[in-house]
Amino acid sequence: MSILDIKNLNLAFKTLTGQVDVLHGIDLNIAAGEKVALVGESGSGKSVTARVVLGLLQETRSARINGSVVFDGQDINAMPARKRAALRGTKMSMIFQDPTSSLNPMFTVGNQFTEVLRRRDHKLSKMASHDRATKLLEEVAIPDPARVLGSYAFQLSGGMNQRVMIAMALANRPKLLLADEPGTALDVSVQAQTVSLMRDLVEENGTSVLFISHNLGVVREFADRVYVIYRGRIVEDGPTAALFANPLHAYTRALMSAVPRITGAGLPEVPEVSDDFLAARVSHTEAS
Amino acid sequence: MSAVLRLLLHRLGISLIVLIGVSMLIFSIARIIPGDPARIALGPNATVEQITKLRGEMNLDAPLPVQYGFFLADISRGDLGTSLYTNRPVTQDIAQFLPATLELVFLAGAIMVAVGLPLGILAARYRGRWPDHFVRVLALLTVSAPGFVWAVILMLLFAFYLPLFPIAGRLSDIYEIERTTGFLTIDTLLAGNFAAFKDAVHHLILPAVALSLSGIGQAARLTRANMVETYDKPYIEMAQAYGFHPSRIARSYAFKPSLIPSLTIIGLDFAVMLGNAFLVEAVFAWPGLSRYGVAVILRKDLNAIMGTVLVIAVTFLIVNIIVDLLIAFLNPRIRYSTRGTS
Repeated sequence: MSILDIKNLNLAFKTLTGQVDVLHGIDLNIAAGEKVALVGESGSGKSVTARVVLGLLQETRSARINGSVVFDGQDINAMPARKRAALRGTKMSMIFQDPTSSLNPMFTVGNQFTEVLRRRDHKLSKMASHDRATKLLEEVAIPDPARVLGSYAFQLSGGMNQRVMIAMALANRPKLLLADEPGTALDVSVQAQTVSLMRDLVEENGTSVLFISHNLGVVREFADRVYVIYRGRIVEDGPTAALFANPLHAYTRALMSAVPRITGAGLPEVPEVSDDFLAARVSHTEAS
Repeated sequence: MSAVLRLLLHRLGISLIVLIGVSMLIFSIARIIPGDPARIALGPNATVEQITKLRGEMNLDAPLPVQYGFFLADISRGDLGTSLYTNRPVTQDIAQFLPATLELVFLAGAIMVAVGLPLGILAARYRGRWPDHFVRVLALLTVSAPGFVWAVILMLLFAFYLPLFPIAGRLSDIYEIERTTGFLTIDTLLAGNFAAFKDAVHHLILPAVALSLSGIGQAARLTRANMVETYDKPYIEMAQAYGFHPSRIARSYAFKPSLIPSLTIIGLDFAVMLGNAFLVEAVFAWPGLSRYGVAVILRKDLNAIMGTVLVIAVTFLIVNIIVDLLIAFLNPRIRYSTRGTS
């Protein structure tokens, strides 16, 4: 059974100078417990896709959204705003790029944790929330949870904040986790640590993940299946191993050749635009 | 809390320097502007001998730095000299008029914060929709007309055509209240006279509202602008992503970080009110320090001018220190910093 089923999703923004089309009929599917990556360059539409799933863009008045986004059996586009808000923070949650600036500088980590936990249990006491948050922070291998809960984001390291974000995102045991370029703002080794931590936790909890990234190395380690998005269209999708072993679409190949090799040989040359990039979608079947 | 203590000492030190600077400046300006204070005080029929005698008593013929030295010596004994206008010690005049002005300005400041900030929050929360447009028009209206215009308009509307409020003064004649603090709202309560307390508050409302209106517009616009900026921060999107209620996000997640830059300006607005109070006091026949200050400037009453300016400067500095401490208290970055300055 799929936890998220996006069919023919179109998104446009109304601006003063006219309509700007952003997504042109996205189809995307995530099964229960599956980790799916959405890969593409900046501006390709991957982050807005996550925000449509979360129901945030539906509240933006300039956004025009068409198509169906069925989450856990219900179409998010068709439901009233209040029901969408009820899903956020409970059945789905999100991790953002920069953990330090995603935490409010005026509240302690503990305060924000309480608010998140109260999304599911409105009457949770301060004490109970503190206990629960302590356990959750221990899960993400934070050695001194009490100190972290009493701190502000600016007093903690980026890696520590990222662990806090992961713990918060999984606190209410959501069915779907949206990770929008998690840890891109962190240095590479910390990013690798936190991503593998996240993978272990979602596997343990059976959480489905939509992992948005432009970092192919991380995607390859993390995802079960990959969708490649280019200019608001899915150009290629398939199981991670098959797609990486045999990229068929011209854009996917360009994206992969764009990764600088650690062995040197200079920065790879990638054409800005090529007609091949707009070629039809290619889907890998199992083990192609 | 040692960072906050250090901040307090730092601000007190700066305030002392500001006070000395202000006193030197006003001292010189008051003596440089044309007109002989002794002649003005004694009137057109005074003889040359009388004037020379008074000039001698006032040390007006000594060089400026020497005069300033006398002034400092007096002030260190708590003596601000005698007013030529009222023929009383300046300290006594200030003690009489300052509470009336402070009472007015404190209430106006409270109204400014209590109305202006929520209006700003409302506008930012419903940005681009009708509550926002409403607040912006209202803010523009209140900011663009000075306080005394509002004083006249409010007086005409709510004291004359619709006699809901008394037209002028601080208290109706029927009440005799023993003077302890000079704040009528406090003195009436100390006397246990609730009817007089209600009457004093009744008299306060119109002038305080008139004085606060431009501040309300200012505070609302500022709060809105700062909050609109805060709404673009990742932590707001995070709060939305967790499904927190939009009103809760506005009141707490977006408002608190936006309050800090607003507070400094609100502190300054408070000082502006002390100045604007003069015209409002004139309209409502309010026996306050601002009115006294203008009267003594017109008469070149040197001691009274110095006294008034210094008291207003001290009030302003105290308000600013309070605002700084409030900011330090509200902002965890300052509260937990080791250097202790913003």
